[in-house]
Amino acid sequence: MPVLELREVTKAFPGVLANDRVSLVLEKGEIVALLGENGAGKSTVMNVVYGLLSPDGGEVLMDGRPARIKSPRQAIDLGIGMVHQHFMLVEPLTVTENIVLGREPGRFGAIDFATARRRVEELSLRYGLKVDPDARIIDLPVGMQQRVEILKALYQGARVLILDEPTAVLTPQEVRELFSVIRSLVDEGLSVVFITHKLEEVMAVADRIIVMRAGRVVGETSPEKTDDVGLARLMVGRDVVLRIEKTTKPTCGDTVLHVEDLRVRSDRGLEAVAGVTFSVCGGEIVAVAGVSGNGQTELVESIVGLRRPLAGTILLKGVDITRADARTSIEAGLSHIPEDRHRRGLILQFDLAENLVLGDHRVPPYAKGPLMRPGQVGAMAATRIADYDIRTPSAGVLAGNLSGGNQQKLVVAREIGRDPELLVAAQPTRGLDVGAIEFVHRQILAARESGKAVLLVSLELEEVLSLADRVLVMYEGRIVKELASGEADAETLGYYMTGGGGEKLSAQELQAPTHGGNA
Amino acid sequence: MNEKREQSVLVQRSWMVAAQKIGAPLISAALAVVVGSFIIWASGYDPRAAFIALWEGSFGSPKAIGDTLLKATPLILTGLAVAYGFRAGLFNIGAEGQLFLGGLAATWLGLSLAGLPWFLLIPLMLLASMLAGAAWAFVPAILKARIGAHEVITTMMFTYIGRYLVSYLVIGPLKAPGQIPQTAELPGAGQLSRIQALFSEATLASFEFLKLGRGHLGIVVAVIAAVLVWFVLKHTTLGYENRAVGFNPWASQTAGISVQSTTVKALCISGGLAGLAGSTEVMGVHHRLFDQFSSGFGFTGIAVALLAKNHPIGVIPAALLFGALAAGAGRMQFQADVPQKIVLIIQALVIFFVAAEEIVLWLIRRRQKEAVSHAG
Amino acid sequence: MLGDIITPDLFASALRMATPLALAAIGGTICERAGVVNIALEGIMLTGAFFGTAMVLLTGSPWLGVIAAVASGAGISAVHAFASINLRSNQVISGTAINLLALGLTGFLMELWYGHPGTTDPIKVLRPIFNFESPGGGAIAEAWRWFDSIVFSHTPIVYLTILIAIVAQVAIHRTKWGLRLRALGEHPRAVDTVGVSVYRGRWVAVLMSGALAGLAGANLTIEQVGSFTENMTNGRGFIALAANIFGRWTPVGSYLASLLFGFADALQIKLQILRGVVSIPPQLFLMLPYLLTVIVLAGVIGRAVAPAAVGEPYEKG
Repeated sequence: MPVLELREVTKAFPGVLANDRVSLVLEKGEIVALLGENGAGKSTVMNVVYGLLSPDGGEVLMDGRPARIKSPRQAIDLGIGMVHQHFMLVEPLTVTENIVLGREPGRFGAIDFATARRRVEELSLRYGLKVDPDARIIDLPVGMQQRVEILKALYQGARVLILDEPTAVLTPQEVRELFSVIRSLVDEGLSVVFITHKLEEVMAVADRIIVMRAGRVVGETSPEKTDDVGLARLMVGRDVVLRIEKTTKPTCGDTVLHVEDLRVRSDRGLEAVAGVTFSVCGGEIVAVAGVSGNGQTELVESIVGLRRPLAGTILLKGVDITRADARTSIEAGLSHIPEDRHRRGLILQFDLAENLVLGDHRVPPYAKGPLMRPGQVGAMAATRIADYDIRTPSAGVLAGNLSGGNQQKLVVAREIGRDPELLVAAQPTRGLDVGAIEFVHRQILAARESGKAVLLVSLELEEVLSLADRVLVMYEGRIVKELASGEADAETLGYYMTGGGGEKLSAQELQAPTHGGNA
Repeated sequence: MNEKREQSVLVQRSWMVAAQKIGAPLISAALAVVVGSFIIWASGYDPRAAFIALWEGSFGSPKAIGDTLLKATPLILTGLAVAYGFRAGLFNIGAEGQLFLGGLAATWLGLSLAGLPWFLLIPLMLLASMLAGAAWAFVPAILKARIGAHEVITTMMFTYIGRYLVSYLVIGPLKAPGQIPQTAELPGAGQLSRIQALFSEATLASFEFLKLGRGHLGIVVAVIAAVLVWFVLKHTTLGYENRAVGFNPWASQTAGISVQSTTVKALCISGGLAGLAGSTEVMGVHHRLFDQFSSGFGFTGIAVALLAKNHPIGVIPAALLFGALAAGAGRMQFQADVPQKIVLIIQALVIFFVAAEEIVLWLIRRRQKEAVSHAG
Repeated sequence: MLGDIITPDLFASALRMATPLALAAIGGTICERAGVVNIALEGIMLTGAFFGTAMVLLTGSPWLGVIAAVASGAGISAVHAFASINLRSNQVISGTAINLLALGLTGFLMELWYGHPGTTDPIKVLRPIFNFESPGGGAIAEAWRWFDSIVFSHTPIVYLTILIAIVAQVAIHRTKWGLRLRALGEHPRAVDTVGVSVYRGRWVAVLMSGALAGLAGANLTIEQVGSFTENMTNGRGFIALAANIFGRWTPVGSYLASLLFGFADALQIKLQILRGVVSIPPQLFLMLPYLLTVIVLAGVIGRAVAPAAVGEPYEKG
């Protein structure tokens, strides 16, 4: 009898059928990978299982019995645990406090912290999940936080563990550790659902693979019976072009951006960028690759004028913009596709035209003195909407009403349409579907071909490999390796991204300014 | 979701939004009046008599309309003040204090420059009141921009400080001779004339509706201010940046807009508008300063702004509504015996329903979206 | 002259003046720790003050008055809870509505029940608990007078407040309720996903803060003033919010911060009484607590960090 079974689970959101009669089974002691693109409905179906969403149709069976799971509490009571993509951890609280939250040991409302701590230690010993029970979450690295999440589920008595995109934030080393943890959990009799969109992970860890596309289960297989290409075809529904061919070789013009020995502090006061030196020339795409949280965000913020560096120099076309604010940087010819488009890229309550003029709203021809010129703004908006294929009935629609892909097109249209000297693109395709990713990639390549300098920061190795002329690998705030596009492959990048070869690099290599691309 | 369907949703939504913008505040106001009537009834009074009295006292005669205009004048200005702040994501709860300072500055200047002709004195006094109101908002503005001190607390504290300051001055240094703690009367050139004083006796006799009693020219100042604020928000970079910061400070910052300087500008402009309410009140109604010269116009301005959905032109009808309530309340107490305080309760209910109406709209929109998705 | 100002009753008065601020501030702490901003403390305090007084006028029992104040405070805060939790209204705006509602409602009922605006008839008040004999003269007697005045001269709610501050402090850090409360204001979804109801947790916190602010109102009328006057809270709810921030969102911190503001208030009153000696107009003294609040906020905010999710409505699923 399967531990968990889904029969024809259906869930609709306004305008979208997120799950269309999804059926699947999970046997005891099994690792099932739920594979699919962003928006395929993987997380939705598991949120239904965990009681966070109520299904519009179908049923969930636990141990063969129908279970009406209306809340996470009921899911937990049934033995279902879930590690969410965004961690459900309370940062200022300790590891122990987070783990016992909701099921605190103790009497008369008081918490027995000694018992709580002991139980956490027991669990962490039993499953080999080493963690300091008294540490505060905010002080732990991401991989460690994920352990706390898993421990939390185990503490609550999970027999079925759902992991939602667990590797997105991990280093390859941490991914390997996670996989061995998952295997030891399964050895202890747990069953695991592993949600991912990464093919190689599925091949490495899953017993069985269930592929979802557009809300439906479109196939089921196992690692022995398939390969990357077959899985990709199943997942996307057509052959994927994994790499866009670059039409021309880079013609390296003048140095546009030069960064010299840059040091930047993070919000928490740590030195997130610890002496970085590099250059980008016109007509070249330089990618910064690295695992999330190795200083990329701070690097970008300091270049675009959102964060004041501790030391070092940033030159844009020879002009010192080290201490410039965002406005000065924009006026000096810098464009920025921010990594979080809802927070930093768009004003969702503004219409398309107002969003397209954002940043240029105070300069001619869009403004004259203190006055805006709606005619000029509207004309520009109409052109951009057409040029960048933004699907909208009019320029007067609010940005918040567009789909995610169209919102990103809006940001790209504004930033590239401004005709900058330098384009800084931070994770420009995060959360987009394949079509939109292709579109954004083509626009970035077009910018390169028209002679602009492009600094691309990405966590996706595929993106880095397909776009970059040169790759800078960032690890713990430093550039630990520079690779020409010909030398770079996923394994080499992965090696350096995780601190591999760090000791072998000479100080000279670290500090030498790197000029031009010669891929 | 396919593109066509997405577009039809967008189109439908834009006319829905337009209808909601006008309709929802009307519903909120109506709900507040219904609940207010219920309270009147439950307290043993006759709601019908109360509302008849309220109507007669606010719109029942040209004189009553004049009273409504009189009360609406400062409310338009404080409503604009609060709305302009809200448009930058700031809650200027202290418009009352800025209003006091505006009244103080206008009075002081009017008394000091008593010899000037009206066409110099009146603009100077209005300007002075704006500067004083802006100055009173400046410290909270700087504290907000620099260290994030919550403007709700700081502007509120400055309201108390401002009130005590005025109270001190009218008892002390600015006190006119006599028993009553108040300043001397403003020179005629520093007073805003009554509307009916602009017309000859003959005109008034043939056009009864011009006999607006105490209604004064401050209403013109207020309406001009509303149009100006609308223009600034809609057509200037200042207003664009103000709205951008109000909606999304992070995206604004990324686009090179200084959130700090926009915050300071917004609160000071807000304070300036509230200050203007102080001068029109002094110059048009009381013609002198004393410590109770505002009956909480700064606080009612919050209800006005919310009911107007922070739209500068919408502030005018919203202020007229609350102005009418204030003007008719006296007659309601006198004629139907209902305590005037019911007006405060209705104001609170309006704020409450405007804040809570989001849920109603959300339900409407959701139902509509579902209908669309099922149809497709 | 300084001897006229620095007297035992100045400190005793500071403790009394701090009490309503501290109760409301602790209420604010609990509410904000749960993720709900409560700028309605001012109106809730006023509501408690009024219904407390009304109950004493009705029954002649101060203790029944205290109960009525607490109950009415919790009652009106339920409106805030409903609006900001269930309806997900803007919490600051909902709080503003309640402040106005309290002002209007107490004024309206005042005229309805007592036939006039302004101030009610005097009510029977709660007396100081202890009443020790002063021993004769000498230095020891002088020391005792200080001690007696500062420590033993107070009414019940003054002592109760100190107890509440300590109990709340311990509860927030050592109990299940406290752990969940801290988590609610930082990451409500994390609380939801372990199966604890966010709505219920926030409701309880808002009601508790209402009850505490109502008790603050009872202290004002039934212990300090002995009657109700319209709008008598006079900004204390906002000063309490500042005290909560200055106290870094902890009950004991809130209490200590309130002591500072209470001292300013006591000093202000003292200086007014001594007006003949110090020739400064009283209005300038009346400004003192408000000025101090601004100065304290200016000095402290940068270093105090509010709960991460405070002010954000929580939407399930």
